[in-house]
Amino acid sequence: MTSSKARGMVAAFGVVALVAAGCAVDDDDGEPDDPGTVEEDPDDPDDPPEDEPDGLAFDLGVTEEACPAGVNPDNGCIYLGVLSDLSEGPFAALAIPITAGQEAFWQRVNEDGGIGGFDVDISTYTRDTLYDPQEHSARYREIEPNVLALAQTLGTEPTEAILSDMDSDNVIGAPATWWSGWHFEDADQGLILESGYSYCIESQIGLDWVSGNVAPPSSVLAVGYPGDYGGDSAAGVEAWAEANDAEFVGWVETAPDAVVGSQDAAIGQVVGSGADVVMLAVGPAEAAAIVGGSMANGFEGQFLGSVPTWNPALLGSPAADALKAAYLHIAPWEGWEADTPGHEAMRETVGDNLPDNEGFIFGWVWSYPIKAALEAAVANEDLTRAGLRSVVDGLQVDYEGMLPDATFGGDRDESAIRTAVINRPDDDAALGVTPVEAGVTGETADAFEYTAPCA
Amino acid sequence: MTELISSGLIRGLGIGSTYALLAVGFVIIYRATGVINFAQPALMILGAYFTSVFATSVGVPFPLAVLAAMAVLAVIGLATERVALRPMVGKQPFAAAMVTVGVFIVLFVVAHRLIGAQVRTVGDPWGLERASLFGVSVAQVDLAKIVISLFAIAIVGLFLTRSRLGLAMRATSMDQEVALAQGVNVGRIFGLAWAISAALAALAGMLIGTAAGGFEAVVALVALKALPVIIVGGLDSIKGAVYAGLFIGVAEALTRTYQPQYAAWLGANFDVVVPYVIMIIVLVFRPYGLFGTREVERV
Repeated sequence: MTSSKARGMVAAFGVVALVAAGCAVDDDDGEPDDPGTVEEDPDDPDDPPEDEPDGLAFDLGVTEEACPAGVNPDNGCIYLGVLSDLSEGPFAALAIPITAGQEAFWQRVNEDGGIGGFDVDISTYTRDTLYDPQEHSARYREIEPNVLALAQTLGTEPTEAILSDMDSDNVIGAPATWWSGWHFEDADQGLILESGYSYCIESQIGLDWVSGNVAPPSSVLAVGYPGDYGGDSAAGVEAWAEANDAEFVGWVETAPDAVVGSQDAAIGQVVGSGADVVMLAVGPAEAAAIVGGSMANGFEGQFLGSVPTWNPALLGSPAADALKAAYLHIAPWEGWEADTPGHEAMRETVGDNLPDNEGFIFGWVWSYPIKAALEAAVANEDLTRAGLRSVVDGLQVDYEGMLPDATFGGDRDESAIRTAVINRPDDDAALGVTPVEAGVTGETADAFEYTAPCA
Repeated sequence: MTELISSGLIRGLGIGSTYALLAVGFVIIYRATGVINFAQPALMILGAYFTSVFATSVGVPFPLAVLAAMAVLAVIGLATERVALRPMVGKQPFAAAMVTVGVFIVLFVVAHRLIGAQVRTVGDPWGLERASLFGVSVAQVDLAKIVISLFAIAIVGLFLTRSRLGLAMRATSMDQEVALAQGVNVGRIFGLAWAISAALAALAGMLIGTAAGGFEAVVALVALKALPVIIVGGLDSIKGAVYAGLFIGVAEALTRTYQPQYAAWLGANFDVVVPYVIMIIVLVFRPYGLFGTREVERV
């Protein structure tokens, strides 16, 4: 190979990598890939929904045949899709346990008899979408003809990429993301059944807690990924600063280590900012690098970390001491060892085999609203997609104590959950964090006028 | 001045020497086989993984863990060459390079499976400790990166220039057929090139894995920064790979340190673009790289 050809190849590889990152092949041939699935057009008057003998109507994504790995052979099957980041994407470390948590949740539901004479299957239509909106969209179109709803759609931007399709298909879903937009029908078309607070409320609760329990910050800084994760969190930090006459030093945009190589740029800006409190909305390795690197360079402020910033393996990293000294983790619900019926049921499913991280809890909790929706649809004798969608407004969800009971729809300024748990790293805790205080609310977060997405 | 030395020069030389290590691996395979090895990033992250396993799971002393990981990767490199690349001898180098892309995908998926949901650490002794260098506080890990990378590259350089096998590798890189006629086992040289390159990638992986927050599988993509380095230095020049790696590392670090302050209008994380800007500039004025062999074509 001549060197000019080789240089061309290097350049071509770069282009291919970029194109591969930006594009996804849609191999959807429009045919359902499960021959056992009932295929009907709900809008076609000549193709009405099927009726079980007891009068329950159902069509897409629901079959009279048992699930491939169902618990109850006499039950029919409800197929739910999972669009997650299961191999090479930036949130794979969290997404794999999230999906495992959801599988455990639905296994328990099936072992308890299923829902309305149906077992629930989330494995058949689980797809790896690499946290790529285009891949997410392609895989959604692939599984859509065969699923009733989505048990999981991971990532704010990937989920936004399929919202219009979900709307036209009447497909509801549980998000694996805490973007504030999911609280508002204008943003999510009433299709996304979120659980817990949003990143925007999270940062305000965290700052309220630091203000009341450590010292009132006079300056605050946000560090996060571009987009709705970091942006939502930073908007909450800015709103808190404005409400408390503190200085909002700014929002440092960084990216995963795989993109930027290291967090040196963010560390330099954190150290240079001199902020009293820094709110992090990044990945776990990046959070540890920023906390450890900043403290090694003389930074003396307090760090708060959004939910996805924690991984128990960080306690074995060089930044462990810095994390223990200056980092607090905010979570929407209590950790592994909490004493609630939901936590107890969750622990029973794994026995002595601890999950890799708290993603397992996230997946478990995020499944409650879909379960409640399925039960409500069965109660209405309408398990069609339209029937399922119709129960969302006003849907009441019992989280078995893992979260306060929630009601979807209505005035979200009143109904949105605004409680959090403040954790600290702890070598002796099951998943590396132990609660400092649970059920935390904050004056600023409670007073925040929550009428639109923060970012 | 302190910031310039600590955050700019030393930090830049630290990461730059890691780029150089990776780039030398690319160059060794290119010189021996005429193929660009796009599997290098996956070899790098596997090197970090095996160092982590030996040092933190098995409990082997860190220096031995690093050597063991390099040995494992050398074997993987040998096997890869024998199974995937040897059948491509005589085929178009472009086809062989595409095979390395396939090898990258396979090894990258394997790395993801091995590392899984965990953030791993390599168990290095430097951590976040700092040292005083001429009165300036610098990170020990940066000094370690510089010393270890340049030492490893020097060993490779000595091997290539002073040993019989090194001489055979150089002969093969100049003309495979003539080397073959002189009794050089060219197939063995190909395997050796892959083994050395993979071992260097493992060492680079260990150095990348010393990040304060540990490493995840996706960090493998950092190795792609070696591509602009080999273009700038010259595809067939080890010396070029070293100089270009250090230069690009320092340029990146200086941009990272001062651009947010003095040229914020360029946007966040502009330092990520810097290696490619340098590559384009060099390509315009010296298409064969700063130290690469000028291509002579009969017209």
